[in-house]
Amino acid sequence: MNTPLIIRTRNTIHRKRGKDLCVFIPCVFLCILVFLAIYCSLCPVAEAKEYIDISSPAFKKLPIAVSEFTGSPGKEISDIIKNDLDFTGIFLCLEGNAFLENSSQPFKQENWTVIGAEAVVKGSVLGGGEKSLLASVSLYDVTEGKEIFKKEYRTEASLVRPLAHAVANDIYRHLTGEQGIFRTRIAFIGRKGGEDSLSLMDWDGHRVSDLGIKGNVLMTPRWSKDGKRLIYSSERYRQWGIYLLNFTEMTEAKVFSSKGTNIAGDFFPNADSVIFSSSIGGSPDLYMYDIATSKLTKLSSSRGIDVSPSVSPDGSQICFTSDRDGTPQIFIMDSNGYAVRRLTFQGSYNTAPSWSPKGEKIVFSGRQGGKNHIFTINPDGTGLTQLTDRGNNEDPSFSPDGRYIVFSSDRDGDRAVYIMRANGEAQKRITSKGMKAFGPRWSSN
Amino acid sequence: MKRFLACVAIIGFVMFGCAEKKAVAPIPQPGEVTTPSEPKEAEKPKKVPVTEQVTEQQIAKVESGDVPSKGEEISGMFKDIYFDYDKYEINESGKLVLRSVADYLTKNSAHKILIEGHCDDRGTSEYNLALGDKRAKSAKDFLLSLGVVSSRAEVISYGKEKPLCSERTEECWAKNRRAHFVILKGKK
Repeated sequence: MNTPLIIRTRNTIHRKRGKDLCVFIPCVFLCILVFLAIYCSLCPVAEAKEYIDISSPAFKKLPIAVSEFTGSPGKEISDIIKNDLDFTGIFLCLEGNAFLENSSQPFKQENWTVIGAEAVVKGSVLGGGEKSLLASVSLYDVTEGKEIFKKEYRTEASLVRPLAHAVANDIYRHLTGEQGIFRTRIAFIGRKGGEDSLSLMDWDGHRVSDLGIKGNVLMTPRWSKDGKRLIYSSERYRQWGIYLLNFTEMTEAKVFSSKGTNIAGDFFPNADSVIFSSSIGGSPDLYMYDIATSKLTKLSSSRGIDVSPSVSPDGSQICFTSDRDGTPQIFIMDSNGYAVRRLTFQGSYNTAPSWSPKGEKIVFSGRQGGKNHIFTINPDGTGLTQLTDRGNNEDPSFSPDGRYIVFSSDRDGDRAVYIMRANGEAQKRITSKGMKAFGPRWSSN
Repeated sequence: MKRFLACVAIIGFVMFGCAEKKAVAPIPQPGEVTTPSEPKEAEKPKKVPVTEQVTEQQIAKVESGDVPSKGEEISGMFKDIYFDYDKYEINESGKLVLRSVADYLTKNSAHKILIEGHCDDRGTSEYNLALGDKRAKSAKDFLLSLGVVSSRAEVISYGKEKPLCSERTEECWAKNRRAHFVILKGKK
């Protein structure tokens, strides 16, 4: 309101314009507000009912009954859906033997209220032969006593698990209003007989596939934000290089290599630039590298070690490990390399930091009582929380929705990949015994 | 000013209205209908349900780029040198070994030395890879101080990925914190 007054004292021509603006701006503003008011009042009507508010820390688990699907492989599909929903910790999956009706019988509200279910999933595999699969799924709101979602899923017979995960995603989205992660995947390094291979698996550890990229030593797979590219470090005849796998074309390209050690790293949000640690200048420092132009920019410089950079989701900040203060600790700097500040002060060995997808947490591996454990901390240094308490745990990263963390651990012998909820609950090994597995990274989508 | 006040009033109304609704909507109360049923009726499945084709990109195997062939190598002519936990400084016994390496390089002018940096497995993978680099580099720097030309000493780090000893004992960890020397005779 002050602005027009100042203009008036300076110039009479501006005074008129100022007066016009004085009327015009509030009018526009009012229009926007009226629109917002109408829009907001419509919000609860236009949006689907939210059954459970998972953003609230005190939410109550939603009792859900996943009825065994009829047909073949109906049971397999409903079991996968149940496992998916169960791991979230958001649902209370009721036991099937208590159900009073099955998937082939018509839905009756009273059969489910009596066992305390608030949502019911029913489905049937309608067949489709040896090559294809057709499943029909319904979701019921027990409170309202009706079907709230029905959909058919068609796929190849070999994609039973992706089909089940797609169903679980739909159910999850209907009940929580958020996107599920049940079709995301995890990249990791498998080590067998002294040879490493870059591998992919579903988020639940099933369907492990070897991407064919072998190396004497492979490390640090890192996804681009669009999930279409992966960078990783590979040692090939005495040289560490950063390589890029393009999933659209299924091709591998060398991004950067030099004498010394080059360790990925992370993508910047625009996916054209990556950051990695390189000792090309003598000591491991952090560099930004533009893939298209091959321009290399040094971002950090210390006499000691700078390694494990992770770019914040908005691309503005980088957290990394450095021993510049004597022991390895986590630091944060602006993405141009300025404003370096130390994040961790507890313990003498804190490494391998990674941002949460919304940027409100950093997960890392810290030494506590002689073992490496997974911790989370806020980027302002508050809220340090230890999440693991067995074995050595490292390589942590968040799931794309920030609700889970994947990491590697030697708690059961050889290094293997584990997942847990972001608060440390439900720690679960997902890679099989007999395969050394480490360096896991959750795909971005 | 009146308009301004009106704006404030509307903003307040809008925000308060929205926040209130948000707080009420999500809590699932058994036996309580929280949403009007009209939109649900509209959403109700028609006779033909939605069909999703679940697809997946076929992941072909990628062949790694060609790996250059190795030249002739001699390993084991020099003792490994050892490092303290999480450190990369060369100790006195390490310096003795490095002096003999420098000596060898003077006498065999066609050969190069490769210094491998290794770590024990108590640290984390990436940090250890950088630490192994520093260890190998410290050894190289000492060779340079003895007059060895930089191009005749190469370094590579294997971090904790190639341990000599796999037990979890002090003795074993000490053996793994090492720099290992390989003589490169060059390609024939």
